[in-house]
Amino acid sequence: MNEMMNYEVVWPLGRRASALATPTTRVADLSGKTVCELWDLLFRGEEIFPLIREELSKLYPGIKFVDYSNFGNTHGANQTELVAALPKILEQHGCDAVISGIGA
Amino acid sequence: MEGLPIAEYQGVPMIDSTENLRRTVREVTVPRIISGLTSQNNTRAVKEAEPKSDEIVFRGTLQEVQDFFYARLWTDGLPIMPPTRQAVEEMLKFTDRPPSDVIGVLPPENRQATVWNTAVTGVMAGCRPEYMPVLLAVVEAVADPAFRIVDAGSTPGWEPLIVVNGPIVKELEFNHGTGAMRAGRQANTSIGRFLKLYMRNIAGFRIPPGEGDKGTIGGNFNVALAEDEDTVAELAWKSFSVGRGFEARDSVVTVQGVLYITPPILSGGDSANDHLQTLSEVFGQLCSYRAYIGIKNKQYCPLLVLAPSVARVIAKDGLAKDDIKTFLYEHAKMPADTMERYAWASGHTTYSLRALVAEGEIPQEYFQSDDPKRLVRIFVKPEMIGILVAGDVGRNQSKGYVINHIHGAPVSKKIVLPSGWNPKVNLATPKTS
Repeated sequence: MNEMMNYEVVWPLGRRASALATPTTRVADLSGKTVCELWDLLFRGEEIFPLIREELSKLYPGIKFVDYSNFGNTHGANQTELVAALPKILEQHGCDAVISGIGA
Repeated sequence: MEGLPIAEYQGVPMIDSTENLRRTVREVTVPRIISGLTSQNNTRAVKEAEPKSDEIVFRGTLQEVQDFFYARLWTDGLPIMPPTRQAVEEMLKFTDRPPSDVIGVLPPENRQATVWNTAVTGVMAGCRPEYMPVLLAVVEAVADPAFRIVDAGSTPGWEPLIVVNGPIVKELEFNHGTGAMRAGRQANTSIGRFLKLYMRNIAGFRIPPGEGDKGTIGGNFNVALAEDEDTVAELAWKSFSVGRGFEARDSVVTVQGVLYITPPILSGGDSANDHLQTLSEVFGQLCSYRAYIGIKNKQYCPLLVLAPSVARVIAKDGLAKDDIKTFLYEHAKMPADTMERYAWASGHTTYSLRALVAEGEIPQEYFQSDDPKRLVRIFVKPEMIGILVAGDVGRNQSKGYVINHIHGAPVSKKIVLPSGWNPKVNLATPKTS
């Protein structure tokens, strides 16, 4: 290996395999809408989610919540299966928006 | 994901008082949630043009190559060997698979793991070409969904550990003796480094200024660990890979996550029980810290690396690896309230052994009374404990490698050798004295 020699080097990464998705249009007004909660059973979500519900309910009349207990642990042993099934499950609940937590 | 709004909690919820938490959520988090849910997002997915896999991306001197790769976060901070086409082609001579073969897709960056980029990363890490069959098996293992590579950037900061078994241990001169887990032997070191580089570049685990790796403090990569199969055979024990269902003649890699490592466990005495007692106390105690989540997720596969001398004493009393596992399972216990306290502090704020038993999630034995000091098991099943023999034959020191529950679950893959393997390896491998 020569310090002054030139090396022609190749790209070390791999092709991206996932399709890029453009986020859907968001809900302008949460009044009367259904908000679903997804929780990984971490970081005091049992205290935080009720507070979020309380505050949003004050601001948006008719807002409905499908609380996290309806969905299961999003970071548990069945995480892969649950996440794969989520689009259908959220649709079944008539979900307009999702609050997913709690990451770190 | 581009355009996905994040509503950050300002502070650390696990150290805030209830009052502070409520105020922060109301005054900071909720407004951010509202903004995230209702603000119109003009982000549009735009696919960035990227090079083709074998495209020359840079021409320059050795130092210029280092700088170019480092600036793009393609290295681990150490110098790399330049991945020239010629060097990559040398690696590819040690597999019969075509370079375009896709082994899997590695989240979270979701890039294709291919034979080609395995060879490229092998060159960069300083691997010899004949290590290529091992590297391919390693990539197959981490691409297996059971390994859960997607969680390798989680905050506890676990690291993968490659375990090597079979004839290839001698063929490639892996070190399994003194300093088995030290950097120094090319096969152990460069293959360990390879995996960390691969996870950085293909899966996307990069520390700041990159993204993907959220390890709070983290640790360095592990060199590959090989078993002392001569001692294992002498004791008529099963090797680690045979215990996982392979034949002794197979060369096998197992990759599993390591969250932390125990101190050296010095056990003494001339009876099996003397050693098992100490191993149970020290290895069990260290495993107790993450037992709560292993128990909950029904999977906890820590690895005990047993000193050859200790293995001999245990074998002399007629015991084998399965007996050690059973002993550890039966004897390693901890107070229930300690398990629940560790769970809460880790963020599992609703963790309750009583509730988990009531829900049928864990065995009844975890709540046989409401005595907070009752002792509960640390291990889920004896067979989930891994035992491997390695290290200095002249010492009585063992060591434990503790896993982060289902993250980095052990996955084993047979190493597929290319046609004409033996002559090639004999020509290429230098012998250390």
